[in-house]
Amino acid sequence: MTKDRRIHEKLLKYIIEVTFLDKDVIKDDTLLFEEGIFDSMGLLFLIDFIRDTFHIDTKDNELLVENFASVNSIAAFISKRIGFEESKKLVISDK
Amino acid sequence: METTSKAFSKEILNIENIELVCDEICHKLRGNIKNQLRRRGAVVGISGGIDSSVVLALACRALGQENVIGILMPERDSSPESLTLAQALANKFGVRTVVENITATLEGFGCYKRRDEAIARVFPEFNPLTDKAKIEIKQNIGQNLPSLFSLTIITSAGEILSKLLPVNEYLQIVAATNFKQRSRMAMLYYHAESLHYAVVGTPNKHEVEQGFFVKFGDGGADLMPIGHLYKTQVYQLAEYLGIPQEIIDRTPTTDTYSAEQTQEEFFYQMPFKEMDLIWYAWENQYREEEIAKVLQKSVDEIHNIFKNFERKQHTTSYLRAAPIF
Repeated sequence: MTKDRRIHEKLLKYIIEVTFLDKDVIKDDTLLFEEGIFDSMGLLFLIDFIRDTFHIDTKDNELLVENFASVNSIAAFISKRIGFEESKKLVISDK
Repeated sequence: METTSKAFSKEILNIENIELVCDEICHKLRGNIKNQLRRRGAVVGISGGIDSSVVLALACRALGQENVIGILMPERDSSPESLTLAQALANKFGVRTVVENITATLEGFGCYKRRDEAIARVFPEFNPLTDKAKIEIKQNIGQNLPSLFSLTIITSAGEILSKLLPVNEYLQIVAATNFKQRSRMAMLYYHAESLHYAVVGTPNKHEVEQGFFVKFGDGGADLMPIGHLYKTQVYQLAEYLGIPQEIIDRTPTTDTYSAEQTQEEFFYQMPFKEMDLIWYAWENQYREEEIAKVLQKSVDEIHNIFKNFERKQHTTSYLRAAPIF
């Protein structure tokens, strides 16, 4: 399984656990907020899950629909941040 | 969406016959208290804000000022202006008042301690004795994602620090702060029961429908005479009823956190005049294009604001729900 797919799977497992929805209902491109699966508290708990699971602190200016609309967009946001954090570590270790 | 017959305009919420509207509210208030609730008068918690001032004036008009009592309930974080303005209002309408400082009650509940513990987990340098704190929404309402709260502290040196609130700290701060509204509700019922009066609540239409109230706190009352009025309409009534100008001119605040905080930055995210019109349009199913044109906004922005209203109403339906059995 690729790293990106592992992120997708962890997100899907989390969403199914907290929403009690059938796993067939949540697809990678399901619009989580648009379709009412998550509300503001859902977003707050999701940010907590992202911090605990992927060690990423979401910033105010990252609270954008393009980062949180669906499992696909959340996974892309996480991948981008993980890539950024890893590149920061590389820069530090190069010094 | 269907279009209603009346064309949308910025004046659509103007009340044409304010005297008639006031008379209708007062007639209903009197009937509810005397016939339905079978109480002798009204208890109103007054804060020096526009909503409670209008409710007090309406209660006086409906029942006579001798049958109304105003309860002022300051606590450690209240602005001193709230007490002064509430007292000036009561004097103007010739209403008896009782001042109940609820600070000790809140200390007993651990309200401040529990709140400050949560704040210190986000900002370990926070000193509750010298620093001030508030929570606020920083995202744009036009963004199609639910809004989240940030915690802002203002240090004694004047430095302003802000962070997105993690879920556990957000929940603890809100739960601890809600002791304020719930303590006030308990105090209002003490006075109401000791006089055989009814508690008249002060929420307006936005507070009720968007869920800007505390369940069994300021949402706990026997009746809510302005619960159907938009904020701009409450201001129109205030002018007509002769509410003191300082109260009319005062920016609506939550008067709940130690740092000053307007209702707009805490919850609504847009000026009342605009929000009233867009809420009315949303509720009455006007076309997004029509609203956008009148208010000189983009259709996308109106669409996202409609979505935000829908989300707020849905998310807060728990607050309006009666106990399930």
